Amino acid sequence: MATANPIPDTTLAEDKAIADLLVLVTAMPPEHFKGCLENLASAFSPETFIVATQNELPADVPSTLRIVATPQTTASWSIKPVDFLNAALSAREHGAKAILILGPEADSLSPLALRALADGALRSSIDLAVPHYLLPSHAGLINSAILYPLTRAVFASHVRFPLSIDLCMSSRMADRLAGVAGPIFAANQDGALLWPVNEAVAAGFAADEVDVGSRAIPQPSDPNLNSILALVTGSLFADIEMKASLWQRPRRARPSRLPNVENESTDGTADVARMVAAFQLANANLQEIWSLVLPPNSLVSLKRCSTLAPADFRLPDDLWARIVYDFLIAYRLRTINRGHLLGALIPLYLAWVAGHINLTAAGTQAERHIESVAVAFETDKPYLVARWRWPDRFNS
Amino acid sequence: MQTTVDDTIQQSTSNIAAPSLYNENVSIWHHMSEALHQSLYRVLTLLIAVLPGILAFFVSLFVFAAVGLLISWVLRRCLTWAKFDLRVAKKSGTDWTPSSSPTDIAARAAFWVCVLLGLVIGVSAFDTSYATGAALPISLLPYLTHAVGAGLLLVAGILVARFLARSVLISAVNAQLQYARILSLGVKWLVLVLTAAMVLDHLQVGGNIVELAFGILFGGIVLTLALAVGLGSRDLVSRSLESHVEDPGARTHIPEETTTASRSIRHF
Repeated sequence: MATANPIPDTTLAEDKAIADLLVLVTAMPPEHFKGCLENLASAFSPETFIVATQNELPADVPSTLRIVATPQTTASWSIKPVDFLNAALSAREHGAKAILILGPEADSLSPLALRALADGALRSSIDLAVPHYLLPSHAGLINSAILYPLTRAVFASHVRFPLSIDLCMSSRMADRLAGVAGPIFAANQDGALLWPVNEAVAAGFAADEVDVGSRAIPQPSDPNLNSILALVTGSLFADIEMKASLWQRPRRARPSRLPNVENESTDGTADVARMVAAFQLANANLQEIWSLVLPPNSLVSLKRCSTLAPADFRLPDDLWARIVYDFLIAYRLRTINRGHLLGALIPLYLAWVAGHINLTAAGTQAERHIESVAVAFETDKPYLVARWRWPDRFNS
Repeated sequence: MQTTVDDTIQQSTSNIAAPSLYNENVSIWHHMSEALHQSLYRVLTLLIAVLPGILAFFVSLFVFAAVGLLISWVLRRCLTWAKFDLRVAKKSGTDWTPSSSPTDIAARAAFWVCVLLGLVIGVSAFDTSYATGAALPISLLPYLTHAVGAGLLLVAGILVARFLARSVLISAVNAQLQYARILSLGVKWLVLVLTAAMVLDHLQVGGNIVELAFGILFGGIVLTLALAVGLGSRDLVSRSLESHVEDPGARTHIPEETTTASRSIRHF
């Protein structure tokens, strides 16, 4: 970690200033940082917040803004554990009641969205305010297919974007997350991505969503689906494994809410044939590996699906939920090498995406389908708990 | 009269020949029994020379296994009393992820270290006792040690072959290569053939024939794979080569409809 401080000494004079809100802006390009500062200046009055950042100050930054330096870290597409450590430390120094962390490309968040996020932790009794982004219907599909339904079923959390790029939290939440982030940072676990929201929910903190409208979602450095899916899904599976003693307790799920505004519909049917072909190829070649993970009835159902024409292709929600649960169990039991396991999940995920696109093209609202997938995960949770406790019980 | 004389001569001749044949039989049996006795003597002498070593090996193994059990039990009790699991969980900040607790792991590690120590000491004792009887012309025991090494090589080779075959299969399927299975099988058999050659070489079986056969088989598999990949993915290779051409105008034209659709789907 470099120690260079790009913030000039003149601003450091106000290091010990007190403010209700501390805004931690993670590493980002100068033009994005400038946009962030402008939006923050529009959203809040200058005396109410302090910006903590490692970015270089733009030339024409408003003099009313109070900006303090944080240690240099490497740029990333997501919030890293070290950001939570820096946020908690800065919040303690400046007596902040709430901490707003803004991830890369946060300049695409409107001032209203920033205000709504901060109000969630400052004025409401919410410990963790998580943004609910408005994305096009065919964006964030890994989140819709795996991350959201699985975290909702396992942790009884209704956070639509558990891998959040921005967060606002109370000071006690910041202390808790910093406590968890410390060992992760010390162990240099770069793959730990999905723990903050799960940690808050599992520990009983009040977490809620705030509608923030659309946002540019930063993409991982390696755009290859194989590596993204393995990274993100592996991170969630590892977190579920770590918190096994917490999520197996019965929890009352909060009623889900559908967004008021229907997101922009896009046509992706041209890709369906390619995805179905990938699934059919995998069905012909990966039976040996899938049979180590999936029960026979799932294999039969997959075989039946593989005979469908691309235009009619569907992957039933309950089958998809069962597949993800079986992969999670295999991940825990190390049935096969974890890299192989997550690699073998990719064609099945593509099959789900193909079915999802067909459904939305046929007129089903994307969020309605995602909601029904999440319900299927919740309904099948007893299977996960049973197999987690008694792995040899093969409910086929 | 003449007949009586002939009969008498024949009888006397046969009476003379009988004791000579009996003497030859005695000599063969004698030699055989002597050879057997010598062989038995040699084997028994070797066994007598090696037996203390074998006994020492087993005694060492059993004694150290018993000591290991005792240490493991004591360690388990001490760590449980010291709440070691809780301390580790607190220190790491998260729950313990492996299926066994830290106490279990420490106790098992102590036991297996003792067993390993017993094995090393036992083998050392055996080696010493064998060295004293090594003057005897029997090559069975060195061969057995080679066989153990060959067995380990075989197991490692099979594991590596299976791992690589799965890696190649999954990667090839995700890259949507139609010949994924052939590629995976090819890699698997490449590693298996290599393993078999190494095992036979380690056992000193076959000599040059093994090297020759290995070369032919290995080369054959590589050629088959090269042909399969080369013929099956001509388009893929040409596209890949074209993508490296610096002149953007020389790139393969991708239909606009496909690129637009791909852009509309974002997995993350």
